[in-house]
Amino acid sequence: MGNSIYKVPGGKLLKIKLTPSEGRILAIVIKGDFFLHPEETLVALEEFLAGKELDEIALAADIQNFFDEADASLVGASAADIAKAILMAV
Amino acid sequence: MEEFRFLELCVHNAYENMAVDEAITLAIKEGKAPPTLRLYRWRPSAVSIGTFQGMTDEVDLKYCRLNKIDYIRRITGGGAVYHDFEGEVTYSLIVPKGHRLAPSNILKSYKIICGGIIEALKQMKIKAKFRPINDVVTGGKKISGNAQTRRNSCVLQHGTTLLDLDVEVMFSILKVPKEKISDKMIQDVKKSVTSIREVLGRHVEVDELGKALEVGFSKALKIDLIPGALMAQEWADAQRLMKEKYSTTKWNLSR
Repeated sequence: MGNSIYKVPGGKLLKIKLTPSEGRILAIVIKGDFFLHPEETLVALEEFLAGKELDEIALAADIQNFFDEADASLVGASAADIAKAILMAV
Repeated sequence: MEEFRFLELCVHNAYENMAVDEAITLAIKEGKAPPTLRLYRWRPSAVSIGTFQGMTDEVDLKYCRLNKIDYIRRITGGGAVYHDFEGEVTYSLIVPKGHRLAPSNILKSYKIICGGIIEALKQMKIKAKFRPINDVVTGGKKISGNAQTRRNSCVLQHGTTLLDLDVEVMFSILKVPKEKISDKMIQDVKKSVTSIREVLGRHVEVDELGKALEVGFSKALKIDLIPGALMAQEWADAQRLMKEKYSTTKWNLSR
């Protein structure tokens, strides 16, 4: 189990609680003082990330696609910031 | 000018306050309530955290229980806020989606709605400006924090404007390891956050801020504030939300 805290430059704080398994995400909790509309998207994202490979570039793309498909807006951080924070927790 | 229902400065506990905000969105969604501006205080004093924050990460629950400070999770994102009964006034502005005050560009809508606070501070001879993403600052220091949610076909923005600031109490409530609360940290917060009483160097009554917010929102947002009350259905929804959501451990400690 790993944790990370990443203050996005000019943005908000991301706190990650990660359970990795063999280079993949087994479980993840994303916390922080960012904004995400609609808010329910976050729990769905955490579920979506389970099983994904711990590769920063691939994760950033997956997260961005997930937000695009959910028509969600993240404010105070970006998909790439979340991916970065996740890798920091490894 | 466009008419808004105005719910005058009133006092509720944390659970009622958050439940009422959500209940109003339900009524507006059903077309039963007009756009609404609400001013309120928190008694007992309470700490609210952003919807994505971890309660036990952010808040010293033991200190809160000992000092009879409520703690609650908001439906809006953003950070932890200490709502001191004597030290701040909270507003909420709720409009249907697509309203001119809430364009789809989120930063733009923060800026528009925060205009009400900036005008209120101007009424009190304080020069303030909007600082993206969601703050109002004066002299480079934060004096108001705001948060928005978009749900139930509504845009809800609520926020606090600081009348007074007790950094020592704030640090006791928020979970900063006690040994780390150095004089320097307290000085750092004092350099980045301020309050109306500090800026003006005089005692300002809560009602004076309440009145300034009423005038400020009306003027900046070009809205006519018509004093009103919650409808019976809104109050019933608020009671239900309070019982089933906002007062529950399941909600408040969900992260």
